Amino acid sequence: MIAPIPTKKNPPSEIRVRVLRQNGPGEEPYWELFDVGYEREMNVISVLQKIAAKGKNVDGKKVAPVAWDCGCLEEVCGSCTMVINGQVRQSCSALVDRLLADEPDEIVLEPMSKFPVIRDLMVDRQRLFRALQRVKAWVPVDSYYNLGPGERQSTKEQERAYPLSQCMSCGCCLEACPQYNKIELTRNEGETDEQFEARKLAAFDEAFVGAHAISQAMLFNHNPTGKAIAGERLDALMGPGGVSACGNAQNCVAVCPKEIPLTTSIARAGRATTFAAIKKWFET
Amino acid sequence: MTSATGSPSESFFTRHEFAIRRLHSLTGIVPLGAYMVVHLATNASLLNGTETFQSLVYLIHSAGAALPLVEWGLIFTPLLFHAIIGVWIARTGHSNTGNYKYPSNRRYKWQRITGLIAFVYLMMHVWHLHGWVHFSPWIKLGDQLGFAQFRAYNAASTLAVAMNSLFWQAFYLVGVWACIFHLANGLWTAGITWGLWISAAAQRRALRVCTAFGVVLLVVGTSAWWGAISTDPEAAKAIEDRMYKANVEAGLVPRSVKKRTQPDPVLGDSSGDDAASELISTGPLSDAGQ
Repeated sequence: MIAPIPTKKNPPSEIRVRVLRQNGPGEEPYWELFDVGYEREMNVISVLQKIAAKGKNVDGKKVAPVAWDCGCLEEVCGSCTMVINGQVRQSCSALVDRLLADEPDEIVLEPMSKFPVIRDLMVDRQRLFRALQRVKAWVPVDSYYNLGPGERQSTKEQERAYPLSQCMSCGCCLEACPQYNKIELTRNEGETDEQFEARKLAAFDEAFVGAHAISQAMLFNHNPTGKAIAGERLDALMGPGGVSACGNAQNCVAVCPKEIPLTTSIARAGRATTFAAIKKWFET
Repeated sequence: MTSATGSPSESFFTRHEFAIRRLHSLTGIVPLGAYMVVHLATNASLLNGTETFQSLVYLIHSAGAALPLVEWGLIFTPLLFHAIIGVWIARTGHSNTGNYKYPSNRRYKWQRITGLIAFVYLMMHVWHLHGWVHFSPWIKLGDQLGFAQFRAYNAASTLAVAMNSLFWQAFYLVGVWACIFHLANGLWTAGITWGLWISAAAQRRALRVCTAFGVVLLVVGTSAWWGAISTDPEAAKAIEDRMYKANVEAGLVPRSVKKRTQPDPVLGDSSGDDAASELISTGPLSDAGQ
């Protein structure tokens, strides 16, 4: 974690915060300015808490508090991910003193642009989790009887797998990816919940799966038990919106808060799908 | 998920995305990238003299009747495929270098920009010098408009004349540089796509190698460009005429009208018997080449 840094020498009494707000899905976004009192060692979460406590914007007008998501407050759950001063990151580990050192005038908060906004800074990351389903990012252990202890993993394999296992599904890699585009569907007239959900999932399933899912596919394909369905994961990665939709901008690895070697996973998936394609071509 | 894949609503592109994108990557290297290296090296030989360049062009044109097959099978078809799919790929991305100013992200953007430049450049380049198809009325029409200017048996002189304008000189320099960046950077990304270089360290090493390759090709390509604009057409034509006469007499090169600047002072113009028979065999036209 990031250690507290020395507080600024001449701290401002107030911090100006600019928030891109939206009242609900599909509604017009708008900017709103807030001033909050400065305190030592604040993070963006405590700024948002102060905004909620104050309940007024910079003009003194009473406004609904800014909605946001958070959970662990220690950069392991990923739910407070948002775009802060133009860069995607977790708001819990975004320290105000550091933000002000880079940009003293104001702190700009926006929701992630690649997911549909629910309200203000809260987004719907369903597609992110759907991608994990697409690549079957799990170890298949269901059975009618005890399968016994799993195969032993070498230290080398463990060391390769551990960084990938740190993924918290926050969405930073997707937000920064130029190949990952927002999909926001609206319900058609007379469409049932089930029909709308099916249409949404179909749209998700042919769009780019994303770096996080490619990396998870590689994690589980190299797991001694997980590799049982390695072929199915590669099929998904060779399907529509699979690994070939990657454009090698490599922003994912640069913004990943957990420093997961995502581009190594992508190259590994590239190699695995190359061999799988050749095998398919000549063996089936 | 299974209900979504393979549904008839999916487009051909969606169903075959993996194969199409991999074929796009492959055609960029072989044959297009490999051809570009040979092409630029051949043209750079012009700096050594008209004789060297003309000899190499004779060698290429020794393919004879198979040449259009090679051109369309190994160059134009892959080029059009790579270009059209490339535009489609570029349209699927939305560059964000404003907020994420990483070198690799900038290269991502420039790969697409240079790709689009290369598309326009190559369409024009082939039309400007080659003419796209060996169809005499078409070539004749192009010639009148200042296109289809290259004559293989007057390789250096026709090239030098065609390049004798500031517009084309600037156009070719930008175009060649765009193609070179696109190939060198594309080689690096293809290595990741196919899974050749895996680790971050390996990708960094590969980037250095691809950069070096790009720099060398930049020197070769710029030499080719300089060779074309620094050649004196008159002097080159004299050498070409001498080489053509000797080669035809030695039986190394067939007589040709359409590959020679007309009127041809060496072995007569299109009224010759050989020339007429060539026209009959290569194009549905009786009076071309005059």
